[in-house]
Parts: sequence; C-alpha cells; structure tokens
Amino acid sequence: MEVIKINNLVKRFPMGKGYFTALNKINLSFEKGEFAGFVGPSGSGKTTLLNIIGSLDTPSDGSVIVMGKSVSDLTYKQSARLRNKHIGFIFQTYNLLPVYTVFENVEFSLLLQNISASERKKAVMEALEWLDIADKAKSKPNMLSGGECQRVAIARAMVKKPEIILADEPTANLDSENSHRILQTMKKLNEELKVSFLFATHDEKVMKYLDRIIALVDGRVASDEKNISKLEIKV
Amino acid sequence: MLKFIFKGIIRDRSRSLLPIIVVIIGVFITVLMSGWIKGIFSDLIDVNANFTTGHVKIMTSAYAENEAQIPNDLALLDVDELIKKLNSDYPHMEWVKRINFGGLLDIPDKNGETRAQGPAVGRAVDLLSPHSKEAERMNILKSIVKGSLPTKQGEALISNDFAEKFGLKVGEKVTLFGSTMYGSMMFKTFTVCGTISFGSAILDRGAIIIDISDAQIALDMNDGASEILGFFNEGGYNDVMADSVKASFNAKYSSADDEFSPQMFKLRDQNGLDRYISLADSVSGLMVFVLIIAMSIVLWNTGLLGGLRRYNEYGIRLALGEEKSHIYKTIIYEAILIGLIGSIIGTALGLASVYYLQENGIDFSGLMKNVTMMMPGVYRAKVTPDLFYIGFIPGLVAMTLGNALAGFTIYKRKTAKLIKELDV
Repeated sequence: MEVIKINNLVKRFPMGKGYFTALNKINLSFEKGEFAGFVGPSGSGKTTLLNIIGSLDTPSDGSVIVMGKSVSDLTYKQSARLRNKHIGFIFQTYNLLPVYTVFENVEFSLLLQNISASERKKAVMEALEWLDIADKAKSKPNMLSGGECQRVAIARAMVKKPEIILADEPTANLDSENSHRILQTMKKLNEELKVSFLFATHDEKVMKYLDRIIALVDGRVASDEKNISKLEIKV
Repeated sequence: MLKFIFKGIIRDRSRSLLPIIVVIIGVFITVLMSGWIKGIFSDLIDVNANFTTGHVKIMTSAYAENEAQIPNDLALLDVDELIKKLNSDYPHMEWVKRINFGGLLDIPDKNGETRAQGPAVGRAVDLLSPHSKEAERMNILKSIVKGSLPTKQGEALISNDFAEKFGLKVGEKVTLFGSTMYGSMMFKTFTVCGTISFGSAILDRGAIIIDISDAQIALDMNDGASEILGFFNEGGYNDVMADSVKASFNAKYSSADDEFSPQMFKLRDQNGLDRYISLADSVSGLMVFVLIIAMSIVLWNTGLLGGLRRYNEYGIRLALGEEKSHIYKTIIYEAILIGLIGSIIGTALGLASVYYLQENGIDFSGLMKNVTMMMPGVYRAKVTPDLFYIGFIPGLVAMTLGNALAGFTIYKRKTAKLIKELDV
C-alpha cells in the first residue's frame, strides 16, 4: 500500500528579487512500513521535503499525496487533521512542552482527537511501557536525559498510532549509545507496528539502520537505494 | 483540553503569575490615579459647596446681586417656615441656614480697655443643634487647633492666626462690633472656646465662627438668614438634579417683581464655578484617558511579548495536529482569564486604596499657608462608580488585544516556518 506519492515536486523560496529552488523535480513513492531516509549535506532540501510530506508546507509545483490526500489541496484544518491522525513528528531538539509531565506530553495528541480519559490513559501508558519509560510518567522534561527526552518524543509520535513518522535529525543531540538505543526502538516500532519512518539525516549511525536511502543533492534526487544492507551512498 | 491548558497556565509562572502581577499593577495604578484625580477636583468643588455655595443656595434676589458685600439688610426672613417647606418639597436634600457677617473684633485687656483690634469675617452656622452636620461639613472639628467647639450660646471659635497675632487665649473674651440687619450698631461679647485653622489663608484671615442663634440675636435677624444652603443627601454635587431642583423652586417661590423673594442658585451658577467645573471635568477626563492609554500600551505589550515568547510552543502544537484556530482561541481564552483575574484583583486593591485615601486623605495644608484660593488642605481620593470598571479597559481589553495580535502572527507565518524556528 502506497502511503506517500511525490510527483514532479518543485519547491521554490523567494530570495532577493528571484527564487531559490530548494527541491527540483522530485519523484518518489513510499509503501507502508518503509524505513527510509533522506540524506545529504546541509541545504540539500531534506527538511523541506519532510515539511511538505508532513503538510507543514506546500509544493510550488507538482504534487505530494499523503494517505491519499494532496497536500496542496488541504485547508489549514484538513492539514492539521492529517498531521494529527496520520503523521507523527520527531525533532532534533525533542520539542517537548516543558511545563507538562511526560504523561501529559504524550497525551496531548490524543486530547486533540477527543478520546475518552480512560482510553487516553491506557494508550499513553502502553506507549511509555513500549519505550521503557513508564516510570518517568510523572517527570517533567527537564528531569530527563537527552535519550529519555527523545524516547518521550517517540512515544508522543507513536501514541496516536500514525501510519507515518517523520524524524528530522533525531539523533543529532544524542551520544552514540543513546542514538543506537533510539534507532533500535524505532526499528522495532517499524517492524512490529508497520509504521513507515522517513528520516532527514546526515548521521552515519542512522544510515546503518535504513532500508532505503535517498540521497539529495541541490534539491534533486541523486540516488535512491532500496534494500541496502550496508552503507554506500553516492553523494 | 481546557483542563490541560489551565494546568499549563498554573505551572508556568511566566504565563500566569508574571502577567497577572503586571495586570494587577497596571489596573491598580489606573484605578488609584483615576480616583485620586477625581477626588482632587471633587474636593475643590466640595470645599466651595460646604463653605459657601452649597449644592444649591437660596438668597433674596437683592442679596444675590451684592453678595460680596454681605448685605444682611437684604437677607431672607421667615427661614424656619421656608426650610420646613423645602424639607417637604425636596426630602432627598438637607437644608441649612447660614449668616455671613463682617465686623471688628476688639480684644480687651484686664481692665476692659481695648488691647487690640482687627477686622473679622464671620460665619454663623448651626453648631448647637444635636443633629447638625455643619461642624462636620465644614471640617471644623478637625481644624480646631486649641480648645473645642462652642457648647453653648456666647462662645466663639477664632482664627488661630488672629489669636496668635493678638495673643488671644482660649477662655478670654472678644467683642464683635458691627451693624444689625436694620443698620443700627451692634456689639456682642463672646468667650473664645477655641482657635481654628482651615489651612487656607482666605478662610483663616480674621475668621470668627459662632452659632447661628447667637448671630440672629446679635444682628437682630430673628428667623432670618443670609442664605439657605441645600446639600444632596447622596454623594456629591449632581448638576442635573441641581438644575431640576432650581427650576422647580424658582417656579414655585421666586418672583421677578419682588427683590426680596427667595431665589435659588445652583453651585455652577456661583463664584465662576461653572467654568471651573467644566475645566475640571475636561482635565480629569483627559488625565484619566491618558492614564488608561498609557496603561493599555504597557499591558498590550505584556500580552504581545507573552504571546511571542510562546512561539515555540505554538509550533509544537501545530506539528502535533492542533488547528491554528484552536491555538488562537486558547491564546485568547488565556488572555481573558489572566486579564480578568488581574483586573479583579487590581480593581479591588485600587478601590481599597482609593477608599482609604477618601477617608484619610493626604494633608498638604503645610504647603498652602499663603494660598488665597479656596482650596482644601487635605486632598482625598474619591470612590466613583466608574472606578469599578475603568481598570478593565487596560487590564482585560488591552491585554486580550495584545495577545490577539501576537496570536495573529500564527496565521501570518507559514506553518513550516513556525516549525523550523523550533529547531534552534
């Protein structure tokens, strides 16, 4: 089942009197359960591509179909609903809400779906147990290590059981050991729940876990390697 | 969801405590200064009302024309009957008779010979009736420097300046020389029961205050009075009510053909107070307006900065699938909640302070020893109905508008930019 379909995607940003083309004629598609990543140097368009897939931005040209819906045609309300129901985000800096507990941070997306309190509690605790941080449920983010914060962010992304999780440099602020633990967790999530993962990264540790690596150079797809077992990127 | 947002407000002091404190301070200053400004202008009007003009005043037409000369030969007669009618016609007002007079005060030595003499301006008010409010109205009790109020006929309060100048002591005698209502010479000796200082040169220079019954006997004004003053029982001067009372009284009792017929004047008709009150209304209105605008700008900025500071949070919430309109609504709800709490507390504190200053005032009489205008020595704030809501303009409206403007940037910015700004 195809969860994302990208056709001739072009993204331009105004720059001075002209435009800067961040993405140029991108054509890609992703099946359910893929564990893929966009790699490339800074400015290659990785984050822009993730933003458009996550309906945080819109294409200048071409189309991006996510879960059967064209991102360009969505209203603010519809794109918010798409993110809330089908897409989870994981950020480099975790972006947890500092005044709320771990439990409340994870619970937030479910609050937006009008799920009953008992169901929310069950879902949140399941997610936290799955990520082995149930004992931190009442802790505030400032009481957690970087690795624990990122696990909370993953729990927050997965608690609503999305089809797609978009992770932008998820290991950039983590040490090697924590990076591997987080990646193993994500892989397990991908394999057991069939959640599609799309990364934007230039971390080699991440690349080692990916089943599909799409190299971006100057906004174009330089290579698209599927079913790789070893790192070999043409950049 | 509301519970979730409320938790956030409570836990994040920079979102709750800090803005609430800023709102409280802003609203408190607005209410206090508004009450103070209104109080000062109102005090100036009250002093004139209490000492000379009343809220309305009745004189004969002839007396009114030459009022500055205190022409008691043109004074009102049958005043007790007239006051009875006034009490019946206008039960919401209190009516008091007064006699103003001028003369010469003679201070005798131990042999009864003249030791010193000086010109005096006298006021005769009701000091001996058990329910009279005149001493309180004219602030006589608080203005007594030595001695006490007259307790019986034949006693007088003398200006403290006058007493000190001529070495007059409490218990000594003074003789008032003047003329009766009918033009014959009069003299009457009083015992000085106290000295008084109102803190205003115009009121303190050579003043003598006696009970009205003494003046009626001494000036041969049996059942007469220079003027009858009317005061509204509730609150201060009310121009609309004064107009209505004046119109009905003059229609009923005044006659253009009879110069001795009683004629009513409202406060604004007297002593150039009309221009003064108009000016006071404009100036106090302008000052309150400037104050509200200044406080509104401060609190608007508080709301604006508070909203912009949470840009990060809005980005996260958008990424998690919250709608822009929902975030915007929560910003407004929060601002209303904080503005409301701050405005209620600030208004309560402001009103309490205004009430305290209304009851106690601040004494500036030491700075006004040589002031010749009729001004109060003690300035008081005044609790007025508008103080109950005036603080809500900067506290609630400006705070909410500031937050609304800050929140509006969520719509203006591209969603992706909001998210990108998270990853710093």
